[in-house]
Amino acid sequence: MIDTLTSTPFFGLGVTLLCWYLAVRFQKRTGLLICNPVLVASLLVIGIMLLFHIPLDNYNAGGSIIKLLLAPATAVLALNIYQQRAILKRHFWPVVLGCFVGSLVSMLLVQVLCRLFQAEASLLNSLLPKSVTTAIAVSIAESSGGLPALTAASVIITGIEGAMLAPLFAKVFHVTDPVVEGVAIGACSHAVGTSKALEIGPLQGAMSSIALCVCGIITSILAMFFTA
Amino acid sequence: MNLIVEFCIVFLICMAGEWIAALLPFTLPASVISLILLLILLLSGGVKERTIQGTSHFLIDNMGLFFIPSVVGTLEYLDVLKLQLVPFLVVSLVSTPLVYAATVWSVRLLMKLFHAKEASHD
Repeated sequence: MIDTLTSTPFFGLGVTLLCWYLAVRFQKRTGLLICNPVLVASLLVIGIMLLFHIPLDNYNAGGSIIKLLLAPATAVLALNIYQQRAILKRHFWPVVLGCFVGSLVSMLLVQVLCRLFQAEASLLNSLLPKSVTTAIAVSIAESSGGLPALTAASVIITGIEGAMLAPLFAKVFHVTDPVVEGVAIGACSHAVGTSKALEIGPLQGAMSSIALCVCGIITSILAMFFTA
Repeated sequence: MNLIVEFCIVFLICMAGEWIAALLPFTLPASVISLILLLILLLSGGVKERTIQGTSHFLIDNMGLFFIPSVVGTLEYLDVLKLQLVPFLVVSLVSTPLVYAATVWSVRLLMKLFHAKEASHD
């Protein structure tokens, strides 16, 4: 019964939009970092699916249409970068080299932490690209013998963590320069972090968008030297 | 500009991005290629800022929405995740703030270095 009712793509579309709307309102009402709208909305959708035993395939019929728009949403980040081009030009090398350091540190840390846990090589290879956007991360994991499923999950968790805690990180590390803040958000938490950086300010958003691209490219090159 | 035209332009750029991604000998996601492509078009004047303004605002303002299906999709991996849950979570969560800090410190240091050099040129 529930299977037939939810097999239309309008189920996935409707439930995602509804949960997103509620989560955004909830975030505005509470103002709490932990109530990150991506996390809250996803948990709402997951809750509904588990409660009514709705198969993931049924959700994905509509969900995949929303997911499809991620590519155009990433592409139009170019407009933000374009609008901040004067500032980018001024800080070009610090931004690009900073992304290089961020990507390198991310991969080194994954390697060190995996050693500490005596994790299997497959886990290490899956987690190495965790700080870059899903599409790059998954293709890196695939070519290095990681499990794309683990990579995708880690990328999402990392992104939500970055988006949720970005304002806290800025306080803890005394970051006041919007250029520095934006690059750091993009380098540690890719596109999900960038969506938060855009909320913090247009300059942070533009710098985070650049870091998202530059770190993605650098990580795919560095991955060749790091895989176990 | 007309939203239909705006979306059409953005979708065409994304399509070109997919084509280029398929041709490249290394893996770079189509969305990142589309971003670079659009940036080149904006810088060269091929696409004007106002030509894609409406679409861009709509997409960027709601960016978080487009991640929800991916997060929900992790449900599928729960079985694989359970096997190595602790190392998986610790490695994923602990490294993020450290990468943030490393990036902050390096960008700051590099800004000082590069701007000191600029100043000495003046």
